[in-house]
Amino acid sequence: MIVAPENYVALSAVLFTIGVVGVIARRNPLIMLMSIELLFNAANLALVTYARAWVNNVGHIFAFLVITVAAAEAAIGLAIVAVAFRNLPHVDVDDAAVLKG
Amino acid sequence: MITFWILAVLLIASAVFVVTAKKPVYSVVGLLANFLALAATYLELQAEFLAVIQIVVYSGAILILFVFVIALLSSGVKPFEVGPDRAPRIAVPAILFGALVLAGIAATVVGANTAALRGAAGVTGDANAFGSVADFGAALFTTNLLPFEVTALLLMVAVVGVVLIAGDEGPAGIIRRRKRRPIEREPIVKRERAVR
Amino acid sequence: MMLAFVWLAPLAGGILLWAFGPQLRSWAGPIGSALIGASFLATCALWGSATAPGALHVPLVSWLHGWNFGLQLDRLSLIWSLIITGVGFLIHVYSIGYMDGDRAFARFFAYMNFFVFAMLTLVLSDNVIGLLVGWGLVGLASYFLIGFWFDRPSAVAAARKAFVMNVVGDVGMMFAIFLIVAKLGAIGYADVFAGVGHALDSGTVFLICVGLFVGCAAKSAQVPLHTWLPDAMEGPTPVSALIHAATMVTAGVYLIARFAPLWSASAEAREMAGVIGGLTAISGAVLGCVQWDIKRILAYSTMSQIGYMIMGVGVGAFTGGVFHFLTHAFFKAQLFLGAGIIIHALANQQDVRRMGGLRTRMPFAFLAMLVGVLAICGVPGFSGFFSKDDVIYGTLAAGHPWLYAVGVLTAGITAYYMFRLLFVTFFGPYRGDVDAAALGIAVEPSGPSVAGHHAEEEEPHHHAPPGLMNVPVAILILPTIFIGWLDFGEGSPWKQFFRGFPGFDAAATSAAMPELASTGLVLAVVAAGFTLAYARYGTTAALRDAVARLRNETLRTPPVLVHAYYFDAAYELIFARSARALGSWFDRVIDPHVIDAGVREVAISSEWLGHLFRSFQTGLVRVYALSLVFGVACFVAYYALAFGVSR
Repeated sequence: MIVAPENYVALSAVLFTIGVVGVIARRNPLIMLMSIELLFNAANLALVTYARAWVNNVGHIFAFLVITVAAAEAAIGLAIVAVAFRNLPHVDVDDAAVLKG
Repeated sequence: MITFWILAVLLIASAVFVVTAKKPVYSVVGLLANFLALAATYLELQAEFLAVIQIVVYSGAILILFVFVIALLSSGVKPFEVGPDRAPRIAVPAILFGALVLAGIAATVVGANTAALRGAAGVTGDANAFGSVADFGAALFTTNLLPFEVTALLLMVAVVGVVLIAGDEGPAGIIRRRKRRPIEREPIVKRERAVR
Repeated sequence: MMLAFVWLAPLAGGILLWAFGPQLRSWAGPIGSALIGASFLATCALWGSATAPGALHVPLVSWLHGWNFGLQLDRLSLIWSLIITGVGFLIHVYSIGYMDGDRAFARFFAYMNFFVFAMLTLVLSDNVIGLLVGWGLVGLASYFLIGFWFDRPSAVAAARKAFVMNVVGDVGMMFAIFLIVAKLGAIGYADVFAGVGHALDSGTVFLICVGLFVGCAAKSAQVPLHTWLPDAMEGPTPVSALIHAATMVTAGVYLIARFAPLWSASAEAREMAGVIGGLTAISGAVLGCVQWDIKRILAYSTMSQIGYMIMGVGVGAFTGGVFHFLTHAFFKAQLFLGAGIIIHALANQQDVRRMGGLRTRMPFAFLAMLVGVLAICGVPGFSGFFSKDDVIYGTLAAGHPWLYAVGVLTAGITAYYMFRLLFVTFFGPYRGDVDAAALGIAVEPSGPSVAGHHAEEEEPHHHAPPGLMNVPVAILILPTIFIGWLDFGEGSPWKQFFRGFPGFDAAATSAAMPELASTGLVLAVVAAGFTLAYARYGTTAALRDAVARLRNETLRTPPVLVHAYYFDAAYELIFARSARALGSWFDRVIDPHVIDAGVREVAISSEWLGHLFRSFQTGLVRVYALSLVFGVACFVAYYALAFGVSR
C-alpha cells in the first residue's frame, strides 16, 4: 500500500462534510436524500480504509451492512417524499413544517 | 499514488456538484460519478466485492429509484425549491459545523499513532486473500451470519413500510380516494399571549 | 371480664341502635335502657372487688414500655360508674316517655348509649391516654346530643359552641399529658402518682395541674369557659339531665379527685382551683336569679353547684367535693326530669313567666321539684344539706376564709333563685294564656318555626306525663332525700369509704370555727334567701299581681346580668372579631398577593419557558438536522481533544 490511510480518512471526512452541508443547506428533499447517500459513502470509505489498514474484513462486512441500510433508507425516504410532496404546492422541505411550535 | 489523487479530486468534485446542482437530475448524474469513483477507490483498497456491490446496488438500484421519483414529482407542474426560504442563512452554521467536523477528524487522524492506523500493531487476516470475494463470503456466512440474516429482516421491513406508506391502504391511497383534495396547510398564527 | 362488659355494653347498644334504629322502631328505647341497666347491675356486682384492697384492675393492651392500657375500678371510679349507669338508666327509661314520637327516637338512644360508653371510658381508664380519649368522646357525644334537633339553627350553634369550648379544654389537658409523658415516659395513674416529688418537681406538678384544670374548666363549665353550658340546654331535657347536670359536667371534679396526689402536692394549684370554683359558684348563682327559662335557671344552678364541687376538691376537701357530686347527680337529675315533665306537658313551653299555678295541675311534678329544691338549697335532712355543708366547711378547714364566705353567700343566693323558680312556676294563677308583651317578654321576630318535633304553634294542652316518665322521677326522690345521711357525722360511712384513697387524706384540717356553728350560719343565710324569695314571689300580694311584677322585673334586670357579664360579647370581640379580621387580612393581602401571585408567577414563567422552547421548534427539517450535526461536531471535538491533539 503506497498511499497512507490518513489520506483516505481525510478524503472521507471531506466527503462527509460536503454531505452535511448538502443536507442542511438544500431545501429540495431529493437532493437532501442524495446528500445523505454521500454521508453513507463517506462513512463506508473510512470503514474500508481501516479494514485495509488492519487487514481485517470486518470493516467490509460493516460497509456491506451500511449499504443495505442505505438502500432501505433510500426506499423509505423516497416513498415518503413521493407521498408528502404529491399534494404540496412546491417540492420543498420548508413547506412541510407543520411541526412548528 | 496518482490514482488516489485523481480519484480524490473526482470524488470531491462530484460531491460538490451533487450538493450544488440546480436540479435533482443533475445531482443524480453527479452522484453516479461519485459512486463510480468510490467503487474505483474500493478496488484500490482491495475491496473487490464491495466495489461490485457499490456499482450494482447504488448505481444500479438506488439511483434508478431516485430517477423514478424525480420523474414522478416532475410529472405535474410543481416546481422544485421555489417556496420561501425559511432559513436562508442556515448554510453558514452548516459549513461551520462541517468545518468543525473536518478539523476534528483531521486533528484526530494526524495526531494519532500512525503505526496503529496502518495496522502494524497486528494483522488479523491473510494479506494475500484479503478483500477477495471468497474471503468476504466466508466471513459473511460464518462469523457474521446473524447480522446478515438481520439485514434480510431489515429489507423486508423496508419493503412493507414502503408499501404501507405509498400503497393504496396508506396515507397516499386515502388521499387518492378523497379525490386528491389538496392538503390545506394550517395557517401559522402567532397565538395571543394568555391574559394574565 | 365483668368490667369489660360494664364498659362495652353501652357501646354495643350505641352501635346496634345506630345501625338498626329504623328496624327497631320503638324497641330502640327499651333495648338501649336495658343495656345501660345491665351495665349498672354488673357495676353493682363488682362492688366487692372494687372496694377490695388494690381495687379491680384489668390490663388490656401493653404497647410501649410504660404504656399499658387497661381498665381500673377503684372506689372513686366505682362511685362515678354507679352514677353514670344508675342515673343513666333512670334517665334512659324517662326518655322512652319523653322522646316518644320523635322521628329520631332510635338515634337519640344510640347517642345516649354512646355517651354512657364514653363516660365509662373516662372514669374506668387506668391511664391518662384513656382518660383523654374518654374526655374527647364525651365531648363528641355532648356535641351530638346538644345538636340532636339539628334542624334548629340555635341547637346547631349551641352544639358547635360546646364543642369548640371543650376542645380548648382538651388542648390544655393534652399539654398536661405531654408533660407527664415527657417527664415520666409512663401513662398509668400509679406511675404518675409514684413520680410526684421525684421525677415531677413542684413546678412541673403545678404546670400539670394548670393544664388539667383548663380541661376541667371547659368540661365542667368553670369561669371563664362556662358560656357553652346554658346554651347546651338546646338539647332534649333528658340530655340536659344526664350529660349537662349529672355526669359529664362533673368530669372535672373526677379529674381533680383522680389526680388528688398531684393537687395535694401543689398549694398554688389548690389555690387556683378553689378561687375559680368559688368564682363560678357565685357568678352562676347570681345569673340564675335573672333567668326566665326553666332549663337555663337549672343550667346556671348546675354551673354554680359544680363550682362548689371544684372549690371543694380544689382546696383539698376531696370527700366533700365528691360527695357533693353524688348528691348533686341525684337532685339535679331530679330537677331536670321534673322540669322535663312540665315542659313536656306544656308542649315545649320553657319560660317560667308563662307557667304559674302548676301546683294543682301537676302535683307530682310539684312534689318532684319541691324535693329537688329542698335538696339543692341544703335544707336539713335533705341530701344537699350534708354535701354542701361538707364543701363549705372544707374551705374553712383548708384555711380559705374568703372562699368560705363565698360559699355561704352562694348558698343563700341558691335558696333565693331556686325558691323563686318554685314560686313562679307552681304558685299563683296560670299565665300560659297571658299576652307575652304583658309579661315583658320580648317578642322575637316571627320566623318560620323550626322546632323539630314539637308543634309550638299548637295550643298548649296539659296532658299528664306518661307513667313511664314518672317512675324514674319517683325513684330519684328517695336518694335525693336520703343519700345525704351517708355522710352524717364524723366517722360517717362516706368518710370511711374514702379513707386512705390516694391523695385524699392530705388536706389540712384546722378549723377556725366549730362545724356546728358553721352549719348554723349557712342555714341562716339559706333562710334569708328563702325569705327574700318568698317576699318577692310567694306572698299573697305578690301572687295576685304576678303579671305586673314579672313584667317589671323583666324590664328592670340589669343588662350586665342579662348578658351574663358580657362573656359572649367579649369572646366575640376578642376571638371571633380578631379571627375575622385576620381572615379578611389574609383574604385581602396574603391570598391575592402571595399565594395567588405565586401560582400566577409559576404559570407565567412556565409559559415564558414554553415560548422559549417553542422558538426551537421551527418545524424545519433542516434546522433539526443542523442540531444533529452540532451533536456530531461535539463528539468529534471531544475525540479530537481527548485522543488526537494531546497525543
